[in-house]
Amino acid sequence: MLGQLEQPGGIIVADFEAGLGTVLRLGDTPVDVVVVVVEPTAASLEVGRRAAESVTLAGLGRVVVVANRVRDDADEQRVRAAFPSCEVAVVPEDEAVVTAERQGVAPLDAAPDAPAVGALAGLATRLLRAQAA
Amino acid sequence: MRVAFVGKGGAGKSSLAGAFARLLARTGERVLALDSDPMPGLAFALGTPGSDAGLPDDVVEEYEEDGRRRYRLRAGLTGSGVIERYAVQGPDGVRFLQLGKARGPRWDNTPAHFGFQRVLDDLPGEGWSIVGDLPGGTRQPFMTWGRYASTFLVVVEPGPASLLTGRRLTRLAAMAGSPRVLAVANKVHGSDDARRVAEGTGLPVVGAVPFDPGVAAAARAGVPLLDQAPDGPAAAAVRCLVEALRSREAA
Repeated sequence: MLGQLEQPGGIIVADFEAGLGTVLRLGDTPVDVVVVVVEPTAASLEVGRRAAESVTLAGLGRVVVVANRVRDDADEQRVRAAFPSCEVAVVPEDEAVVTAERQGVAPLDAAPDAPAVGALAGLATRLLRAQAA
Repeated sequence: MRVAFVGKGGAGKSSLAGAFARLLARTGERVLALDSDPMPGLAFALGTPGSDAGLPDDVVEEYEEDGRRRYRLRAGLTGSGVIERYAVQGPDGVRFLQLGKARGPRWDNTPAHFGFQRVLDDLPGEGWSIVGDLPGGTRQPFMTWGRYASTFLVVVEPGPASLLTGRRLTRLAAMAGSPRVLAVANKVHGSDDARRVAEGTGLPVVGAVPFDPGVAAAARAGVPLLDQAPDGPAAAAVRCLVEALRSREAA
């Protein structure tokens, strides 16, 4: 289905199941970018490392790491150290996102000016520019 | 006691299951902790040495039935025997057995996968308590991976997505012969959150674990909650959960 959706000028953003099983079955239809979302916790970084390694070895697409729920410089450094050769986008911990999720509202609607939303807007812009280049 | 922790990814299953298993072991019970997720998680929460190793391929042998390839534990091997041999020793006397962890793009765990399932079918009974941590979502709990459990603890955060997963798990449980299914409200900020979980899932809430910065600190440090913040509110709530489940078992 994903393979049939592609059309000129169109952009597909797919949210995959946790883990690697589903994304690795994309094997025959590589994507432009695989965004590996991690939190600065030991378990999440370990899972993210495996995901990035597998995606790279499978040649699925360029890996961009999103460091989510980053509280401070130590959090950011922990993620960068785990992915020394990947582009890392930092999304700060943001109470506005937590509140929006508890209310079942999209953060973009509930808090368009929140720092976390701004960070994701920045990531989208960077990905679009890279695509156009 | 045979308990499986299920729920949406990120709800806190592994953190709670690890603390639960250790606290249950401290009451004197002989505890086996099972990790069915091909991604690492429960080992961090328990505090067992990090390893990808699951069961070796040769725990199973292939055979054919009706023209189909099947697997069974190799001759002479039982579930209890596998646990004696391959479950590692964790803190507080918990024994820990995991599905081997995924690595690389062409990871194939077919024999180990079936070996783990055959062990789940033949877990030791008398004298053992089983605490299982299942992968997130609704796909596996009431089919092959969770069928050993007599009680399912659905870990739910008080947000719509987590509540929706909880409701779906509740419906699936009803279709699977209605094992005992209870909710654990996690990361709650007040009593109203536990009520939201009860109303949102339709399940009895057997425990409410408050939001506790100690949980995040433990996760960042890669240290079990019980070692990082043993006197914090989350650890206290898991102690209450252990007692609540033990009381239900005894009743």
